[in-house]
Amino acid sequence: MFAYIVRRLLYAIPILIGVNLLTFTLFFVVNSPDDMAVSQLGEKYVTPEAIDAWKRKNGYDKPLFVNAEATGAGAFTDTIFFTKSLKLFAFDFGRSESGRDITTDVSTRMWPSLAVALPSFVIGIWVNICVALMVVMFRATALDRWAVFVFVALMSISYLFYIIGGQYLVAKSWMLVPISGYDPEFQPWKFLILPVLVSVISGIGSGARWYRTLFLEEAGQDYVRTARAKGASEISILFKHILPNALIPILTGVVVLIPTLFMGSLLIESFFGIPGLGSYMLDAIRSQDFAIVRSMVFIGSILYIIGLILTDISYTWADPRVRLS
Amino acid sequence: MSDAIRLQVSDLRVRVPESGEEILKGVSLELRAGQVFALVGESGSGKSVTSLAVMRLLPDALAITGGTVRVPGEQREQDLFELSESAMQTVRGRRVAMIFQNAMTALNPVQSVGRQVAETLRLHTRLRGDALRQRVVQLFAEVGIPDPDARFDFFPHQMSGGQQQRVMIAMALACEPDILIADEPTTALDVTIQKQVLALVRQLTVSRQLAVLLITHDMGVVRQTADEVAVMYRGEIIERAPVDAFFHNPREAYSKRLIDALPDLTHFQSVAVETPLLQLEDVKVYFPIRKGVLQKVVDYTRAVDGVSLSIGRGETYALVGESGSGKSTLGRAILNLEPLSGGRIRFAGEDIGGLARREMLPYRKRIQVIFQNPYSSMNPRMSVGDIIAEGMVSLGLGLSPQERDERIGQLLDRVQLRREYSGRYPHEFSGGQLQRVAIARALAVDPELIICDEPTSALDVSIRAEVLDLLQELQREFGVSYLFITHDLSIVPSLAHHVGVMQAGVLVEQGSAEQILTAPTHPYTQALLASVPRVDG
Amino acid sequence: MTAMDFKPVLLWSDVLVFLLVIALTLFFYRLRRDPQTRARWGRVFSSRLGMVTFTVIMVYVGIALLDSLHFRRALPTPEGVDTTEIFYDNKVTSVLDVLLDGMGERFERTYSAPFALQSFEKSNMKDEQGDMYRGYEDLRHAGQHLSHPEAKWLNVLELSATALAWGLLAAALVVGVQWILLRGSKHPWQASWAVQTVVICLGVWLVYLSHYYHVLGTDQGGADVAYQSIKGIRTGVLLGTLSTLVMLPIAVTLGVSAGYFKGWVDDVVQYLYTTLSSIPGILLIAASVLLFQVYIDLNPDYFAIGMEKADARFIALCFILGLTSWSSLCRLIRAETLKISQLGYVQAAHAFGVGHGRILGRHILPNVVHIILITFVLDFSALVLAEAVLSYIGVGIDPSMGSWGNMINGARSELSREPAVWWTLTGAFFFMFVLVLAANLFSDLVRDAFDPRSALGRSGT
Repeated sequence: MFAYIVRRLLYAIPILIGVNLLTFTLFFVVNSPDDMAVSQLGEKYVTPEAIDAWKRKNGYDKPLFVNAEATGAGAFTDTIFFTKSLKLFAFDFGRSESGRDITTDVSTRMWPSLAVALPSFVIGIWVNICVALMVVMFRATALDRWAVFVFVALMSISYLFYIIGGQYLVAKSWMLVPISGYDPEFQPWKFLILPVLVSVISGIGSGARWYRTLFLEEAGQDYVRTARAKGASEISILFKHILPNALIPILTGVVVLIPTLFMGSLLIESFFGIPGLGSYMLDAIRSQDFAIVRSMVFIGSILYIIGLILTDISYTWADPRVRLS
Repeated sequence: MSDAIRLQVSDLRVRVPESGEEILKGVSLELRAGQVFALVGESGSGKSVTSLAVMRLLPDALAITGGTVRVPGEQREQDLFELSESAMQTVRGRRVAMIFQNAMTALNPVQSVGRQVAETLRLHTRLRGDALRQRVVQLFAEVGIPDPDARFDFFPHQMSGGQQQRVMIAMALACEPDILIADEPTTALDVTIQKQVLALVRQLTVSRQLAVLLITHDMGVVRQTADEVAVMYRGEIIERAPVDAFFHNPREAYSKRLIDALPDLTHFQSVAVETPLLQLEDVKVYFPIRKGVLQKVVDYTRAVDGVSLSIGRGETYALVGESGSGKSTLGRAILNLEPLSGGRIRFAGEDIGGLARREMLPYRKRIQVIFQNPYSSMNPRMSVGDIIAEGMVSLGLGLSPQERDERIGQLLDRVQLRREYSGRYPHEFSGGQLQRVAIARALAVDPELIICDEPTSALDVSIRAEVLDLLQELQREFGVSYLFITHDLSIVPSLAHHVGVMQAGVLVEQGSAEQILTAPTHPYTQALLASVPRVDG
Repeated sequence: MTAMDFKPVLLWSDVLVFLLVIALTLFFYRLRRDPQTRARWGRVFSSRLGMVTFTVIMVYVGIALLDSLHFRRALPTPEGVDTTEIFYDNKVTSVLDVLLDGMGERFERTYSAPFALQSFEKSNMKDEQGDMYRGYEDLRHAGQHLSHPEAKWLNVLELSATALAWGLLAAALVVGVQWILLRGSKHPWQASWAVQTVVICLGVWLVYLSHYYHVLGTDQGGADVAYQSIKGIRTGVLLGTLSTLVMLPIAVTLGVSAGYFKGWVDDVVQYLYTTLSSIPGILLIAASVLLFQVYIDLNPDYFAIGMEKADARFIALCFILGLTSWSSLCRLIRAETLKISQLGYVQAAHAFGVGHGRILGRHILPNVVHIILITFVLDFSALVLAEAVLSYIGVGIDPSMGSWGNMINGARSELSREPAVWWTLTGAFFFMFVLVLAANLFSDLVRDAFDPRSALGRSGT
């Protein structure tokens, strides 16, 4: 087990290097710092001097890989690759193009993200499991067929409609909660209810449908027939046999998402004005702040890899048949 | 022994509501206390449907359309088909219990076996807590599970197939039912284990005065266990008799064919003087076991550990062993589908072990293979003609398309299939027909040696005999040699000249068929042989 | 005016989409030869739901194809200019625009509600005396034919009746032809015909009434919302298909090689897709689109007309979506290939010395086709939904190109007005929902028919 985790952690290194190289290629090779300067400055103000000044200000005035002018180790450290790409490994994200310290921003903004994402995640899974169980109880009846149709219809509605619709109905028409905003000190739950509600409801379609398939797959297994032959009732079979077995794929499917909860949700946060990492990313994309985008890509990858490792560990915990080696 | 009827099925009918097809056409039988009633038939005969219908556990696609299942009640007889579902739940497990074919899948994989047995007791008795656990441990001991107290907390995957089936039996017997329905209880087990489990069922039948319905396709199992036999064919019971009378004097031709499939241990293939075709010298196939952070190879799984044998031209060598003994791996190694870890493979005097892909090509024509599962050994998207032609094309036999078609036709004739079949696709054929196609495919390139990897174990017994006969005919006709890999000693006498017995990657004993089957020296061979069912019981 | 009064315009996305149609037709034609595949398609189409959803999808695809035949109209030679040269309109028109009969050319000043006669917002107007006042301006293209505004709804009813009559006539023709051709078929074509009738009637009604009213109102720029929503169809359908088309070859090649060759090939492919899927998708897509936008901005000379610029961005988006989303299909195909290479028929092929290329082509690929097919249908709806989100973030379709995402994007501020402007959102919602729902339901049926696991669940013992 221990050896396995160490090995997985070692395996993460080449992946992070790959992520790093890919982003570096995208941001500095495909697009030169000059291109970035032009688009940042706006075409009206483009002069060679302005470009140079912008590059100097943001630290893009160095060579890509090898600095011929510097001496010693500086030939490699005083380059864009080292300062902008390799330093990410030390969690040194540097400054955004508007001059703010990215590390500070990230560490303050991840908490509001988590405040929305974690309840949405937990309640969402719970609701989906309950709905799916209810439907499975009525399997092979008209109710089941209609429920599946409703799930597919719910899935077919764009996420944006859920948010816009939720805001329009709950906040604007019924005026139950504020439309948007967030205040960690004063009644934060008031601001959280609607975003959490919207994410839970928007997830029911695909979530409950998926869980229903998993439950049905288990319901067709031989051990369920064995339980019936013992004289167990349908309800007790559902909860004692089908649910524990179906929880394995459910668990391992969602565990990978847990670390990425820190990243928050782009859409929810921007619509509801929550100052989390999701809206941070969206703002960065809209203002074309590539320094932030680069850092978030790196953080996202690390969290995903942690998620993968957690998934494997949760497998051993949920399924007695699995031993890691 | 009392002869009280414990369960009476009359005129049981089952249909597929969607198509109206009748699966059971009026089945009647009685189970008596202390007796085993065997319901025999091949796949699709409706024997499993009968057992599930009695328990009212049929899948949704099937519906009971008529008949009664009577059991004696406290005051008067009850018809199980008239009970409410909740009343039926009190019957299942308490009065009528059931054990299933594949214990591995029939047990809940994420619950300890002890808790699964305890569940039956919880449902039907008031036992709780320590008393419950004690009772389960006691049941485990009764069905012969070693160290029962520790085994309580084991998960199914931690136990062997035989022990899993014992857990199933313990679960079925927990509430002391009157009636036990056993649906192919030993099919998934190796023969030596099969014998032990059947002995256990037999012993419990007598000691607990159970009425047992035993569903099986295996006449050997019937011979060893049953008191009365009924043969099922296409949803009907065509013959019913006490077991001794049945085996000595079957009435129906179909029954006779089933009985004839049992081995005859008195007639053997005579061994002629042969020239060796394939010689294995100390062949080893190891698979590395990796461990630790750096995945270093710490040890090897010795799938085949130093096997030497020799097969002559026109001879059949039967390689016998239970699952996991390494016999299939050896076959694959000869075909160069598995890398060799040591030893030498000589074919017609030349060393072919570990040849590169291209160097192996000339030998591919001369060594062919037939696999166990006919359904997975044919590409579902190729026509039978294309399947047979594949080898001729890839090995460059230099035939024109017309000649190739003609040859495909001849081959189909030879394996007793119609020539028109060459345009059809595999899913249109039965398992037996597909295995004939597989034989035709192998013969297409005129091989000298065919490796038959359990070619008949997926087939019903009556078809099995036909395929084996065909193989022997072809041997006489073309002088082809067979390496016949099988777990089933019973087909060996009529087929093989030489026999080798494999256990855990090692060839423990080999010799002429007669010598091995009449005077085995190794204890493992003796155990295998003892588990082979015979007509004379 | 000369005889040649239009000039075809071939946008890159047009070329790609017609190539795609040809490729798909050939693919399905080839598949038909395999009896098993035919039986499975038969299962999909033997259900009424399959017929209905397929017809709906085909209607969308048909509209998208009509909207992909582009041309530029010739401008009339101005009076007094003596030249033989023909000048073409800078605006690119499609065959669909012609069929919609000028629906896209009836602009108002700004918002107006469905069937409204007056503008939604007050503006400065002059009365008869020439004094300025604030009031609701009359619309330019709605209700001009009415003698007095009160007669509006009665008129709408009359017009609808006429339109319906024409619609039914047209539907009767279309269905009648099919009825003659498909009489012997055992598939439930009636379901398809019902949908066709509804669609034709709706279409005729919409085009007919659009001459007199804005059926779904107008948006901020005064454009007809119904027209905008219909124009969004091409974008949605093309994005859904072209992205998958880009993704398929990568996923299939890598997945099949990894599963078949194993060893280092497998290691490399696994590394590639783990790395790719570890990057938050939306960031990767956003970054790539932004970088491409910088490229477009810096090289304006490459694109002759505005539409080509928007088209370039659109194709880039398809490619980016395709290049970033192959990992899940690749993983599925790798697993399936691993399973198939263990099967008897591949082993037998090895024993016959069949070459790698032939094994891959004859044994492996045909047996993973069902996964590709299921993914294709499933991803389609996901991509249509993704377009809306990307457009909202600002990395989606160029705003000059009609798309549901851009319409929804504006809806956020429109709904917070008092009273709310609800019709843009409704228009986009309706057209998008119908397509995605049909695609999702159809993909369910396809999966049930082609996934061996679900087929197994159906047959009882």
